[in-house]
Amino acid sequence: MTRSSSRWIVQRLAQLALVLWVIATILFLIFRLMPGNPLVAFIDPNFTAEQQRALIHQFGLDLPLWQQYLIFLKESVTGNLGQSFFYKAPVSQLVWETLPNTLILTLGSVIIAFLIGTVAGAFLAWKRGTAAEAAGISVVVALRAAPEFWVGMILLAVFSFSLRWFPSSGTASPGVHYASLGAQLVSVDFLRHLALPLVTFVLYLQGLPLLLMRSNMLDVMEEEFVVMARMKGLPEARILLRHAARNALLPVATAFALVIGYSLSGDVVVENVFSWPGLGRLLVKAVSSKDYPLAQGAFLVIAALAILMNLLADLVYTWLDPRVSYAKR
Amino acid sequence: MRTRVLLHSLALLVIGTLVAGAAPLAPTNAQASRQIRELVMVTWPQAGDPQQFEAARIAADGMRKLGLKVTVRTMPWEQLADYIWYNRTKWDMTTWQMVGRPERSDPDEILVNLFSSSTAKDGYNFIGFINPKYDELAQAQRSATDPEARKKLVYEAQRMLADQQPYTFLVNPKSIYAFNNQVWDAKTIVEQKGIGIKNFWTFIQAAPKGAQKDMVLNAQDPTIAINPLYISGKVDSWITELIWDRLMRVGPDGLPRPWAASAVTWATPTTVDVTLRPGMRWHDGKPLTAEDVIFSFMAPKGGKVPMYKPFVANIADIKKVNDTTLRFTLEKPQASFLTSTLGKVNLVPRHVWEPMLQSIEGKKDTAEQLQEKAPIGSGPFKFVSWTRGQEVVLEANTQHWAAPKMHRWILRTVANVEASLGGLRNGELNFLSDYLGDPSVLAGLSRQNPAITVVASTDIGFQFIGYNERRAPFNDPTFRKALSMAIDRTMIRLVAYKGYGVIADSPVSHALEFWHAPGLPQIPYNVQAARELLKKAGYDWDGQGRLLYPASQTESLEVAR
Repeated sequence: MTRSSSRWIVQRLAQLALVLWVIATILFLIFRLMPGNPLVAFIDPNFTAEQQRALIHQFGLDLPLWQQYLIFLKESVTGNLGQSFFYKAPVSQLVWETLPNTLILTLGSVIIAFLIGTVAGAFLAWKRGTAAEAAGISVVVALRAAPEFWVGMILLAVFSFSLRWFPSSGTASPGVHYASLGAQLVSVDFLRHLALPLVTFVLYLQGLPLLLMRSNMLDVMEEEFVVMARMKGLPEARILLRHAARNALLPVATAFALVIGYSLSGDVVVENVFSWPGLGRLLVKAVSSKDYPLAQGAFLVIAALAILMNLLADLVYTWLDPRVSYAKR
Repeated sequence: MRTRVLLHSLALLVIGTLVAGAAPLAPTNAQASRQIRELVMVTWPQAGDPQQFEAARIAADGMRKLGLKVTVRTMPWEQLADYIWYNRTKWDMTTWQMVGRPERSDPDEILVNLFSSSTAKDGYNFIGFINPKYDELAQAQRSATDPEARKKLVYEAQRMLADQQPYTFLVNPKSIYAFNNQVWDAKTIVEQKGIGIKNFWTFIQAAPKGAQKDMVLNAQDPTIAINPLYISGKVDSWITELIWDRLMRVGPDGLPRPWAASAVTWATPTTVDVTLRPGMRWHDGKPLTAEDVIFSFMAPKGGKVPMYKPFVANIADIKKVNDTTLRFTLEKPQASFLTSTLGKVNLVPRHVWEPMLQSIEGKKDTAEQLQEKAPIGSGPFKFVSWTRGQEVVLEANTQHWAAPKMHRWILRTVANVEASLGGLRNGELNFLSDYLGDPSVLAGLSRQNPAITVVASTDIGFQFIGYNERRAPFNDPTFRKALSMAIDRTMIRLVAYKGYGVIADSPVSHALEFWHAPGLPQIPYNVQAARELLKKAGYDWDGQGRLLYPASQTESLEVAR
């Protein structure tokens, strides 16, 4: 690795730390400035003033705001994301237990959606002007516009309740236990449970890569080098795949990283419809019940993942397109 | 040039109007007026709780017929609870509900904590109902250890509340559960008064008919903790009830009965003798001793078990008379002790919890932060596994004297109401234990599918409208009574609750037949009579039909924000 490219990487990592700090500060302030109070979840006929004071002290909410902020920063840097107000367990443990489920669903869906999307997008660009293209575009746009929970409910109603081909909730059948994560991932039971949420999410996500790829292809196919390739007598399929698609793929690669970032929000809906025990559901509950440590910690983890994805996207971009280089000359 | 000036001045005008419109209005009461201000009722959003929302709208309509200007404002639950609990001088009226729990089969908690002046500032008497005669009555029923004498006092307390109308009682809702009658023998499903078929007795007595020997049930919310020293939520309490035993339990008739104790007797009004059942063992095989029981009740008296502390506060001392007999000495007589303490505190193994509690001595942590990897109890079910956010698996403890007939009890977290219905239909669930959707849909499902039996039972809980008595005119019992008369509760029952409820007349539910006072005034819907009642009390109406305070009283409060 050259000195300039290693300097670039160091620069990017410093940027990453800066962005994370800004996000952490914003999260901290947002949750504390929102109206609401974490104590209301404990309201009960036996809830005494003494208990209320003890809880406030336990949550660390009796300290001045700047002190709470400094404690939060110090703990986050050492990897201690605090303790959930309600689960009374370390936030890092809660995130660790649910993150794999979310990652599998989200990453799996995005990867499959992009694979299908790019291939289908290239195909539709090839078939420009035909009836197949018109029908294809309509279907794609309709699927993109349909809300995920609606698509999910339809799939549930048809494939789970009527046909009974797939289970309707969770990651495993009742009472089933796996020895390890690896064993779980390859088991038939898990894949059956994953099928419907995955398909729902893929149907929703495929619109972007498909249309993006298609429009890029249409642009690229007008370029001079494509005309040159045709004049050389190369087969159409070879032109499409070897020459046009590789160039059209570059913006799609960037989109991949961005989509992973924002698909984590759509993931919450899918997790609710299919009762998928992931980070999304945990997060929503944490926000609405004002579980500050859990909400902050989970959001921070997601933000860090999204930023990491962006960094990876930049690296992949330089690999795909040798003309681009971030190193200073 | 001229068009530019014109556009600029137009823009300034628009901005100016917006700013002026957003500025808070100055109080308009230039001179004191008798007209009652606009009153505000807060409630859940329609999507959050359609019943409370609809009930609020119907109630507000009725109040308008008395000449009041009423606005219904919705807020998400967390915000509403914060508003009502921490801003006690700011709000007018709210809808609210008391949830039914087996421990609430004894009316003590409800009668004392909701209406005593001691809990008006920080506690559950958030409406600020201050009535010294009621306080006396509530304390008297608390110390009356003779059941018949206590019943009379409980009846009298309910009559006083019916007369004073601190709340308008709306309904005792019906809790609705369903089960698959091809999997479970319907004769072994137990309906507990005020609780329904989803109860401890069903779980230990339900007999499987065929090959499926596991009960698979659902809950909408995930399990938060499985900890006998932490009251972490309604779903978690189903689990703790099964893994840990208690000295007494509330029976299907709503009354406490000895459970881990073979006999419980009042020696004096402040002493209770408890004889332990012999041969009880913990799930790890060790025997359950008197020392374990003493530890279970004394540990919460320290600072490390905050949620159970109020329940053992009245225990002065526990003496071990012999290996199987204990004598509890109370500070003050407490009639509800058997239900609210002996029926609530979990028996925990000292050899597990004493070292754990010692490890957090001197730290900020409480017992709530201690989660056993494999919880040990002595109850009819043993812990098997907990997959966070997804399921909890318990298996029958065959060594228990009341060993369950099923093999495993599997609780699945199903966040989606429709999915829980579908799960019941396609066999993934065989007991629907958490259903907050439209009851008519479930009833329809049962008609289509004869394998599904639906049981709706009147609940211990009740729904009501609370009036903030710190703010006029709600401090006037006559005004409150008129409001109750103007609210069409039959319509609320039929429209908001789709008929799944009975009209409530007391904080003690109709389901508690032993404690519910007979002959309470039913307050039928009668706007004309309400207006006459107000007129007799000195209220009047102005030219526009708006209700006015009695003469010599003027409006001194702002509209609630």
